[in-house]
Amino acid sequence: MKTATITPLHILSRTAAALLGGYCFVWGFTTLGIALAVTLGMSFGEARTLSYLLAFLLFTAVFCWAFATASLGRAWLLLAGGGAVMTLLGWLLAN
Amino acid sequence: MLQTFRQSMAWLHTWFGLVLGFVLMAVFFFGSLSVFDREIDRWALPETRFEPQPMPSYDNLLADVFPNMEAEEEELDAARKRIGGELPAQLQPVGWGAYTTHRDPVLDVFTEYSVPNPADPFDHVHGHLTLDPRNGTVLPHDRLKIGSEFFYPLHYSLHIQWQQLGTWIVGVAALIMLVALVSGVIIHRRLFRELFTFRPGKRTQRSSLDLHNLTGVVALPFHFIFALSGLTIFAFLYLPVGETVLTTPAQAHLMEEAVSRGLPFEPAGEPAPIASVDAMVMEAKKRWAERGMPGEVGFLWVTHPGDRNSFVSLFRAGSDRVAFVGQGVHFDAVSGRVLYEEPPPSVVAGINEFLTGLHLQHFEHWPLRWLYVLGGLLGCTCIATGFIFFTEKRKRNLKDAALVRRVDALAVTAVTGMVVAAGTILVANRLLPVALPHRGTWEEVVFWLAWLLAFAHAIWRGRAVPGSLSPAWREQCWAIALLAVTAVVLNWITTGDHLLKTLITERYWPVAGLDLALLASAAIAIRVAFLLRGRERATAFVDSQGSRALEVVRG
Repeated sequence: MKTATITPLHILSRTAAALLGGYCFVWGFTTLGIALAVTLGMSFGEARTLSYLLAFLLFTAVFCWAFATASLGRAWLLLAGGGAVMTLLGWLLAN
Repeated sequence: MLQTFRQSMAWLHTWFGLVLGFVLMAVFFFGSLSVFDREIDRWALPETRFEPQPMPSYDNLLADVFPNMEAEEEELDAARKRIGGELPAQLQPVGWGAYTTHRDPVLDVFTEYSVPNPADPFDHVHGHLTLDPRNGTVLPHDRLKIGSEFFYPLHYSLHIQWQQLGTWIVGVAALIMLVALVSGVIIHRRLFRELFTFRPGKRTQRSSLDLHNLTGVVALPFHFIFALSGLTIFAFLYLPVGETVLTTPAQAHLMEEAVSRGLPFEPAGEPAPIASVDAMVMEAKKRWAERGMPGEVGFLWVTHPGDRNSFVSLFRAGSDRVAFVGQGVHFDAVSGRVLYEEPPPSVVAGINEFLTGLHLQHFEHWPLRWLYVLGGLLGCTCIATGFIFFTEKRKRNLKDAALVRRVDALAVTAVTGMVVAAGTILVANRLLPVALPHRGTWEEVVFWLAWLLAFAHAIWRGRAVPGSLSPAWREQCWAIALLAVTAVVLNWITTGDHLLKTLITERYWPVAGLDLALLASAAIAIRVAFLLRGRERATAFVDSQGSRALEVVRG
């Protein structure tokens, strides 16, 4: 395993992308998921339970992906950016 | 991150598994003990060693208990700080209730009072008592239920109360458990073969990896479901979207639900006497039986007690099924008529209830409970062998010596040190004087001190010699054996409940079970200590003969 190219800063950023970026993405998914389901007629409580059941499976997947993907910038962009966009969409839909 | 997907996953598995492994070890071990938390309570509180009791009569017993209860002094102090002044002498109760399971001889009763706080209309404080449901005798407040009040909260909060930080740390650890399972499967590929591979005769590095893979694969579904359901149980804390970005639909839902249920939201402000709750219990039981699920009351809650808008909620104990307490029936407290009967759960709610119940295991099925303990201990084995593999693999590399020593000391602390601490709290429970003020707090202090001492010992004895483990492992095994046997003997001396009595003449499984588990732990610890001694001697022999070029790295 070549580790010479991996600097401590890279590891820190990668970890933050997986954990914080991943959290942001899951937050966005939950918000948008609930908002969409409620718009489609599901009750809020039901939609929230459903989103919670899926949220941590999704978190596991995006966490692994953040370490698997070659580009660190892409990981940050997709996770944090995607999370922010989904949160905004969900908020707009619900208000 | 690295050249190939599998390399990236291996890196992730190794380093995150290592760092969060120390937390996971505690979560798995104290989770396993929590399966028998009520039984550990009986061992720790000899005055509560009697048979489990059903929910007592409200009209004859509980009705006299609740009005005389008060909020906890610490909560009142915190509330005074929040409002920056004195509280009224009499706080208005918001609700009170009682909770029991098929394993509880004593009953937990709790109250909630509103705090007049202009900044927060929902500000409240709590009161709590444990009583003997046969006669209403209250248990002294400073008795620690080591199982349900210490080991169990340690399992999900690490007892780090501040901002619920402990529960967040356990949440990250549970996520890493899921990640470690997924990445572990990706690294290994040959899952079926791992089930049948264990070569204890090989080098420590090889045999520890075999056991790591074996335990990881054999209990894979168990570990996955428990990490996942643990996260969903606390999802409201981790992802509070309804309280932040989605307040509008969340509030609308709450109002809608309240209206459709017809349950009063606010107190009327007019006092009114409460009708017979025992009659409501009869009615609820009749309704459960009509639904084909006869059962007992597990949870009873009175909202706005003493008010005209008061209502009584009765929930069924989930002793006979996986899903948790439920099937609530709500009564008007003044008239005693049914206000609302909860319908069967929807598919989504049913899955959630099933997962929650599966994790919290309130059902009455003893062999299954032991399987839970086994699953949890397999998790511990998986993590512990992961630590050993990590250090063994790096012992040949001189530049890793400092890292290896540190990881090994932490591993000793997380594995044997944790068991030493658990044994110590049981011994302390039997040795501390009954009249000692804040006795329960002292037991907790002794627990943490013992763990700290085990850590210091692990650092002091640490070394990095390939093929031989730090002597701290062996020495702490002896400490475990000594503590476990001492706990059993002390239980006998201080309570008279020896195994012949609890097993044969006056059978009482909660105490006999823990005594037997302690003796089994002692036997395993002694066996392991001898095995480790043998290995240390063999390594020392090889070393002194100089037949192998071993790099002995000492700090």
